[in-house]
Amino acid sequence: MTLFSFSEAVALLAAILSVLMVGSGNLRTNLLAYALSTAAIALVAGLRAGILGESHLLLIALAMVVIKALWVPWFLSRILDRIKVYFDPGTVLAIPIAMHTGIVLMGISYLLAGRLPLPVDGDPVTGSTTASISLLFTGALFMLTRKTAVSQVVGFLTMENGIFLFALTMARGMPLIVEMGVLLDVLVAVMIAGLITFKIQKSFEHIDVTRLTDLRE
Amino acid sequence: MPDILEIDMKVLIALIAAPLALAVMALSLRRIAVISSITSLVSWLQFGASLYLVAPLFVGAGSPVPILPGFLIDRLAGSFLCLTTLVCACSLTQAHFFFRRQLAAGAEVLQRVRLFYCFAVLFSLSMQLVFLCDNLGYMWIAIEGTTLLSAGLVYHNRDRNAVEATWKYLIICSVGIAFALLGTVFLFASSRYGAVPGGTLEISLLTGSAPLLEHQLRRLGFIFCFLGYGTKAGMFPLHSWLPDAHSEAPAPASAMLSGALLNCALFAIYRLSEVSTATGQGAFSSGLVLWSGAVTVLVSGLFLVRQHGLKRLWAYSSIENVGLMLVAIGLGQAPLFFLQALNHSVAKVALFLTSGSIIQITGTKYLKKMRGLAQLSPLCALVLVLAAVSVCGLPPFGSFIPEWVILLSTGQAGQWVQFGFVVTGLAVGFIAVTYHVLRLVSGSPRPRQPLSTPDLFVPVCLLLISLVLGLMIPEFFWGGP
Amino acid sequence: MTDWLLFSIALIVLPFLTVGTIRLLKARLQNRLGPPLLQPFYNFFKLLGKEEVVSNDASWLFRFCAVANLCLALFLALILPWLSFKPVFLIEDLFLAIYLLALLRFFSILQALDAGSPFGGFGASREATLSLLVEPAVVLSLAAVAVIARSTDLGDMFSFARPHTLHDLTVWSTAGAALFLASLAELSRMPVDDPTTHLELTMVHEAMVIESSGPNLALVELAYALRLVVMFGLAGQCFIHALFCVIHPQTSTLAIISLLVIFAMILITALVETVVVKLRWTRVPEYVAYAITMALLAAGGAIMGRMT
Repeated sequence: MTLFSFSEAVALLAAILSVLMVGSGNLRTNLLAYALSTAAIALVAGLRAGILGESHLLLIALAMVVIKALWVPWFLSRILDRIKVYFDPGTVLAIPIAMHTGIVLMGISYLLAGRLPLPVDGDPVTGSTTASISLLFTGALFMLTRKTAVSQVVGFLTMENGIFLFALTMARGMPLIVEMGVLLDVLVAVMIAGLITFKIQKSFEHIDVTRLTDLRE
Repeated sequence: MPDILEIDMKVLIALIAAPLALAVMALSLRRIAVISSITSLVSWLQFGASLYLVAPLFVGAGSPVPILPGFLIDRLAGSFLCLTTLVCACSLTQAHFFFRRQLAAGAEVLQRVRLFYCFAVLFSLSMQLVFLCDNLGYMWIAIEGTTLLSAGLVYHNRDRNAVEATWKYLIICSVGIAFALLGTVFLFASSRYGAVPGGTLEISLLTGSAPLLEHQLRRLGFIFCFLGYGTKAGMFPLHSWLPDAHSEAPAPASAMLSGALLNCALFAIYRLSEVSTATGQGAFSSGLVLWSGAVTVLVSGLFLVRQHGLKRLWAYSSIENVGLMLVAIGLGQAPLFFLQALNHSVAKVALFLTSGSIIQITGTKYLKKMRGLAQLSPLCALVLVLAAVSVCGLPPFGSFIPEWVILLSTGQAGQWVQFGFVVTGLAVGFIAVTYHVLRLVSGSPRPRQPLSTPDLFVPVCLLLISLVLGLMIPEFFWGGP
Repeated sequence: MTDWLLFSIALIVLPFLTVGTIRLLKARLQNRLGPPLLQPFYNFFKLLGKEEVVSNDASWLFRFCAVANLCLALFLALILPWLSFKPVFLIEDLFLAIYLLALLRFFSILQALDAGSPFGGFGASREATLSLLVEPAVVLSLAAVAVIARSTDLGDMFSFARPHTLHDLTVWSTAGAALFLASLAELSRMPVDDPTTHLELTMVHEAMVIESSGPNLALVELAYALRLVVMFGLAGQCFIHALFCVIHPQTSTLAIISLLVIFAMILITALVETVVVKLRWTRVPEYVAYAITMALLAAGGAIMGRMT
């Protein structure tokens, strides 16, 4: 089994983990599944560093593991501890149906990935392109069907994972500074979102964002 | 031309370093009066510095001047840089008076005002960086930076409404920006198919080798970037964060958000449409931009009819102007785009700063509760009416010319449906704004506490600038970017 | 000949051994000594000698269903390829197997209803609901395997002689995971149902067998043990096939690995029963959704493989 097909399999595993994340209403389980999914993507980055010999990918993989797979879930679970919320209070779509929708979207992303042009050098990357589009869809599904503020942040981060995986496989050679800048922005965004979640709980006594309707006319 | 490049660098470094120093100072000094005065002074120096930087570009042939790898300045970017520094300077000057009054009335916490200044100067820095970027990745980072820093500004009041507005702003804009990142990745991928060896994110290189870009990926990239930066610019239907954010932020921050931040996002959209046009198959993308602009103008005009808050009213008017600027970009006319941005920013900043004073005077931000402004403070009422009229595009103020030319160009291009949308939107918007403002100004006021004269120096100056812009028709702007 | 001998020994020994191992492992994990390893074996013979107490409302179906269950379980053990060294029987059709599984459930439900007790009634209804939820997972994962094997003959599907490509790895592993999760639900183990509960209102499987005693109970427990070992064996074979896509061990090694995989699943079951909390009945569909998701992934992967 070549290193390349192994990295494709790991990318698909990351997408499957994020679909399984949709199937749980326990916020901490969601964070765990997100952390594992991100770690899988960092592994893909590390493997590609080995395949292509681009050592800056190793640096990005390491930064990703430290920031997005370790620090972000830890920070968000600490926020959850402080506001004492453990379950999603009710989702727009029933959780099992949402998970099946995630699978259907994965099938659609396979069809979409087949229609994109093949990369200009290297082998066809249908597996990881499917995984990245599926991560985008799953993140969007998660954001749209969940009501908790923390769930919205996790959905957004899943979408960012999908975009990163896409950049890794379709658009090789993106400058290091851009990737690092993106990671930094995500870090700061999560910090701010966490603080604001805490403030939402203090002001509104809940973190159900569908009930944030004071400003609507 | 080595001379120009060298002068650029020293002044440029001063331009970048000043806000960082100001931010540190804002967090360390004690007295607010000192912080705000130094900040206003330095921001006016920044404006002067940017004029000095940009002047040589307009003298010679006007070709773009590269600064560092990934950074570039050309006429359009330079003009927007001056506009942004002007907007920030005016807002920060007015902020001095605004917070002085707030602190005197006991409605403000010292630490928060310090944080406000810190965020405000860093925000202005990141906005200036957007215009200097040639690399799409750096531009993305700068725009995401503006989102994060302005969230701090919107969060200033810390009450329920501010928290809700900040949350919506952060989430909607971050998702939009994530789409823009995806579009950026698509564009990078499209450049690897023979256009540039190894791929590039530099807009100048992308434009230069545009016909060689891979067609499907480029189109996808443009659509996603347009969706993403369009969310940031507040185009319909992704505008729902805009009224909340612009009305909950304190007045000087609202002025900066409406007057400068929207321009950043629209500038990014313009650069991308340049890439599309250079391929020769840009009809799809310019059509898309034109349609979005027209629909945004129509819908926001309709939204303006029923409004309850003063600053929300002006936020929807900003959305309308964003639509107009999108129409200008869709027609591919850069000078028109800049002219509309310039006039809109000048008038909108005057309007927001005046509204801030009015809200301070009347003690409420709801239109129903503010009546009889003409009797409370005639000067204030006059300035408000003139500023409102200026934003709506009535001659002799400056906004009239670009709106008129936009309509003419739309007609010339044969896009009659969009023309109809824009005309209807502008007309309905004008009627709505006039209705609200006149209802505010006339009538008899409810008895309030004794007033002092509002601080209207800055808005009045801006209105004069708008008048001047309207009365002289600058040949300058038709010269091309 | 040796094939059949080895298989008969496995068939006789393994059911008792697996049930005994689960109980022993759970006991040791809970810091108890636990029953001896072959206790289910001793229980079987003890129960055969005991007097039977039958409800007055029960009919001939009561005894008939127990016997029918055992016969069906033995037949399924003969046709389902749950061990790598299982000799191929006459007919090994996939759809026959699926329908026989359903028939097995049908007889259990009938037996529970026949005794006329309310516990039997709601146990039967819960079992029916559960099998309704779980069946898509089982059918889809086996169908996915059939698609990549291009035949519905179980012997062909699970044969090691076919070429195993790398793409099959995803299908086999997800099908195996789906079958394992689904069998935990079908066999009424945690987290769906606690097999050691005393509270009748929480029972699913136990409520169905609560009326049986003596020889009837012995037959019912043997049928259950056979089902357990066969379903775990089937899931284990899927995982072994997934492994086979990467490395190719010899046949004798495969036999040992088959047995080891069954015991690995027993260990996981024991761990799950010790650590995991039983789900509320209204949340069982969420758990089953995971099994169906894995099965959908397997089916999707198989179809995509055929399309390209």
